[in-house]
Amino acid sequence: MKPAVFSYLDPRTLEEALDAVGEHGDDASVLAGGQSLVPLLNMRLARPEVVVDINRVPGLDTSRVEAGAVRVGALVRAATVEKDPALADALPVLADAVRHIAHPQIRNRTTIGGNVAHADPSSELPAVLAALDGAVVLRSTAGERTVGWEEFFVSVFTTAREPEELVTEVVFPVRPDLEFRWTEFARHHGDFPVAGICCGLDVEDGVVRAARLAATGVADRPVRLREAETALTDAALGAETARAVGELARRAVDPPSDVHGSGDFRRAVLATLVRRTIETWPDRSQRGRRGAAA
Amino acid sequence: MKAETREVTISVNGQRMTRRTEVRTLLSDFLRHDLGLTGTHVGCEHGVCGACTVLVDGVPMRSCLALAVQADGRAVETVEGLAPEGELSEMQQAMRDEHGLQCGFCTPGILMSMLAAERAGVSCAEACGDVLGGHVCRCTGYQGIRAAVRRRWATLPAARGEETPA
Amino acid sequence: MNRLVGARVARINDPRLLTGRGTYVDDISLPGMLHAVMVRASIAHGRVTRFDAAEALADEDVHAVITPEQAMARTRDLPLVWLAPEQRHTHVPVATDEVRYVGQPLGVVVADTRASAEDALDVIDVGYDELDAVVDAEAALADDAPLLYPGWGTNVVASYDIGDTGEEIEPVFAGAAHVVERRLQVQRLAVNPIEPRGLVAQWDAGTESLTVWISTQVSHHIRDHLAIVLGLRADQVRVIARDVGGGFGSKEHLYADEALACLAAMTTGRPVKWIEDRGEHFGATFHARDVVHRARLALDENGRFLAIHSDIVGNCGAHASNVGTGPFRISSIMLPGPYRFERAGTRIRGVVTTTTPTGAMRGFGMQEASWVRERLVDEAARELGADPVELRLRNMLGPEDLPYETRTYQRYDSGDYPEALRRVGAEIDKRSRPSEGRIRRGVGVATHVEFTGLGPSKMQQLVGFHLGGFETGVVRVEPDGSVVVSSGVVGMGQGIETTLAQLAAEQLHVPMSAVTVRLGDTATAPYSASGSIASRSMVVGGGAVVRAGGRLRERLVRIAAHRLEADPGDIEVEEGVFSVKGVPGSSLTLAELAGHAWLGWNLPPGERADLEEKDVHDPENVSYSYASHAAAVAVDLDTGQVRVEDYWVVHDAGTVVNPMIADGQVVGGVAHGIGIALHEEMRYDPAGQPITTSYLDYVMPTAEDIPDMDVSHLCTPAPHIPGGMKGLGEGGTILSPVTVGNAVAAAVPEIAEKLVETPLSPSRMWTLIHEAGLHDEAGPHDDPTSKE
Repeated sequence: MKPAVFSYLDPRTLEEALDAVGEHGDDASVLAGGQSLVPLLNMRLARPEVVVDINRVPGLDTSRVEAGAVRVGALVRAATVEKDPALADALPVLADAVRHIAHPQIRNRTTIGGNVAHADPSSELPAVLAALDGAVVLRSTAGERTVGWEEFFVSVFTTAREPEELVTEVVFPVRPDLEFRWTEFARHHGDFPVAGICCGLDVEDGVVRAARLAATGVADRPVRLREAETALTDAALGAETARAVGELARRAVDPPSDVHGSGDFRRAVLATLVRRTIETWPDRSQRGRRGAAA
Repeated sequence: MKAETREVTISVNGQRMTRRTEVRTLLSDFLRHDLGLTGTHVGCEHGVCGACTVLVDGVPMRSCLALAVQADGRAVETVEGLAPEGELSEMQQAMRDEHGLQCGFCTPGILMSMLAAERAGVSCAEACGDVLGGHVCRCTGYQGIRAAVRRRWATLPAARGEETPA
Repeated sequence: MNRLVGARVARINDPRLLTGRGTYVDDISLPGMLHAVMVRASIAHGRVTRFDAAEALADEDVHAVITPEQAMARTRDLPLVWLAPEQRHTHVPVATDEVRYVGQPLGVVVADTRASAEDALDVIDVGYDELDAVVDAEAALADDAPLLYPGWGTNVVASYDIGDTGEEIEPVFAGAAHVVERRLQVQRLAVNPIEPRGLVAQWDAGTESLTVWISTQVSHHIRDHLAIVLGLRADQVRVIARDVGGGFGSKEHLYADEALACLAAMTTGRPVKWIEDRGEHFGATFHARDVVHRARLALDENGRFLAIHSDIVGNCGAHASNVGTGPFRISSIMLPGPYRFERAGTRIRGVVTTTTPTGAMRGFGMQEASWVRERLVDEAARELGADPVELRLRNMLGPEDLPYETRTYQRYDSGDYPEALRRVGAEIDKRSRPSEGRIRRGVGVATHVEFTGLGPSKMQQLVGFHLGGFETGVVRVEPDGSVVVSSGVVGMGQGIETTLAQLAAEQLHVPMSAVTVRLGDTATAPYSASGSIASRSMVVGGGAVVRAGGRLRERLVRIAAHRLEADPGDIEVEEGVFSVKGVPGSSLTLAELAGHAWLGWNLPPGERADLEEKDVHDPENVSYSYASHAAAVAVDLDTGQVRVEDYWVVHDAGTVVNPMIADGQVVGGVAHGIGIALHEEMRYDPAGQPITTSYLDYVMPTAEDIPDMDVSHLCTPAPHIPGGMKGLGEGGTILSPVTVGNAVAAAVPEIAEKLVETPLSPSRMWTLIHEAGLHDEAGPHDDPTSKE
């Protein structure tokens, strides 16, 4: 279990990095946190000719809280997101979701850009991005483009990133009117979840005014559960709504079976997560509480 | 195909060391086989078991999931640096007192994670939970390790030692 | 003096392990050392038709490629150890071009580095004529199943009965008031010590000798079998086990790949290192379990057990492993457990399939037997409306019944089985927690008797187990008074260095610090055929040290008496000082005694000069540990997740030499069993490709799975073992899966009848809960009405 031979480039500027991926394209793998790539290298399931290590590229490891969005640099570590007070204030669900990624020893290396670019269908952040209608910023020597999550996540481990592009930033829109929560079910804390949901609700006097619901682990990419969102909107919080919406979520997906369980099991877990999240949603007005981001 | 090599200089437990190595060399293999520091163990090479955990610039990470070239210019801490020869650190002593190890293979990684947890001021509950969760031990059933963590944390500044998870 | 036996003594090898100064096999590096990787079969079944290594050999980093043909020509067949009656093969080839499982070693690549050897592996072209795979043992019994060994005309490698059969037992079932019958299954497991297997081999052409450092539980056994397969004399092979990063049964014999790595060292004339990686481990290291029991328990109208029987179909994998059908046999002989039965027996069919061979793992056969028996008993209690503890007590052998001969040839020695169960039963009520909403809670119990301290040799002969069952202990006092203990058992984390030192120090009345324990090196350790397997190191090896140490103390006392001109009966020994009772100043230190003794000076008439005693301990019987366990679990009816919230163990392993180590063995064993109960499962696809080959797919128990447990010991010394020890390394694993299973049954009685197979993973649990109609009360298939 040792990597096959590759050439190693460790560009010191973004321009050098873009030149490197521009030149090597499909033959290159971008090494950020390495927590997914290096296992694949070790198992020789990934055999790039060139590894472009972007860890020494300056400027990609900061986050900014802007009007309407949290912009997280591609090289920002999961552990940094977990502990960043500005992010916690602007978008607490981000840290909540990140805390479910493996364990501190992994989160110290995992990068937000790498996690999103890897597009694991059971990963947390893609679903957060989906719930928030987020986007991914891609750069190449030809310029920069921002791709919405729906276009970005194509399939299992497949994204809209062109080989000559780098993920430079991940954009999580802030919706101060909604309170977001992350809930997942995994064999152990830190394992890839069987299913996970990012749920955002605006609740006033026990009635849902607006809702966002996205899930991971139940398809080949993150999914928005739009029927469930519609059903939630203007519904009264409570057991009945919770059950109905959970059922809609179950019907919205058709995941494949694998060693951790059948597709039906994953769907049932999804329904349970949705139901329990809504059942236990605190009946209190959240409006304006997180105005700091606005 | 000849493998590309590079010169890598790291400070290991305070000692500067330079070796030329293949760019594909994992940090775990560099420490063990290029530098002869075999206290860091390799159990799965896909980042799950945690036996290879070391600190790089004070941050605990899997040395099997980092390339040696990535550690160039960095400070690495390994189990060999935890105590002067012939002595045990307090955490090492707690592990011995509480029978927190049997075969000892996973132990160095756990010790490095706990060192970082101690320095970071995490609670005893978190050390026994999220931090220990990042390690697989086949021998102990974890009970002795948790007891060792509690024993060690009980000697740390009060706020952290008080929380004792079930 | 303070007694050392029974004391919580810190382990003597901890400091080196804690400071990173241990020596595991991959820590060994020799000048000029090369690195081997195995060429392994990538298909499950077929014949190798092409093995082209030309491109690999063209690489200057590559020193040798051993092809299947070369390997076949250079090696002899590996003898199997435990042979069943009329077992269809007794030897297996180290190398063959006939492929019967993915991961089977075909050849070896030797290169400058591990990575370059893997590069070479990438360009070796292996072609196959592929045959159909068969993964499941029951499927392999079908008339049209692909045959692994067509010459046999069947896939059954051995078939035999144990205990009461046919006419002896069927009338009991036919006439019984109540019969509980289930098809019970234990899944295939990968053993997973955190240190994989590995070795460093060095061939010395000058002395024509092979030295092998290897991660093993059985140094001498490895030596003997290496000599056989490599065509060497035993004295040409030296095997050394240094620190071993866990064994759990997976390192208890010579594997073909290990022999091939040694062959590579002999072929190249250079030291060769081979280290199994984790990916390889899942296919190359023998698996365990994978067995189906069609089992029946007969009771009379008063709930008295009459008979137990199981029809066992065991999956042996691609060939009978070293132990072959041994696990199914041990399941059979231990099936009756601690209960009285008029009749008990099994039928065993060992079946070959195109999967990795199955062999030993912690709990060997007994974990399966406990799963079968204790599930049946719990089901009987449920069906009869009886209390599970009370029903067990009603049928349990009491202390007055021991020794007791079972229907399956076991002679239980000593103990108080009901007391262990009563104690556990008393504990479980103290911390009961209620069910809450969709979280159900329940407590389960289970109980067993355990076969430990493998021996005696005559019994091993009787059952076709081709390894001696004795152990030899050598205790020597050096001229300076230091004490060296040698034994053929091996340290692999179980703390045997420390506990042997405790026994020797106690016998000699010297402090622990005076004692060094040397294990694992065939050049210096006394011969041990069976090594550290089957919970025998402390029982058989320890017993030898007790006797050798005791005899050496008696000699030292005689020598001291002679020199102090006193009667031996008047000599007192304390902390290594020999003094005459009541005569102040009349004393000698051990060093003073030993210094002269090794000169041959001042010895009493007839006394030998050397201060070394050797004892060969071949026990008259195995020793039977026993335990009762209880688990409290919470089951989430919606996700199927089972959490073990509390766990209790009452265990009797005879004399407990070191309670800290004993507790560690029990707790670690329970944790291993909780992994079996809830998570671990080695799986194949229908084409015979393993699909759980990393820790992402093969789920290991982690800290959050394992609650802190209450462990207490009864201590009934084994009457026939010097020192009174019984084994305790496996009991935790044997009983915990069924204890958890019974707790789940108590929590969700609606599915109890279907709790027949582990792991009780969320997926399996959810399916059972769903099938029982316990899903969310609104029902998943109700029309989800909208919010109006």
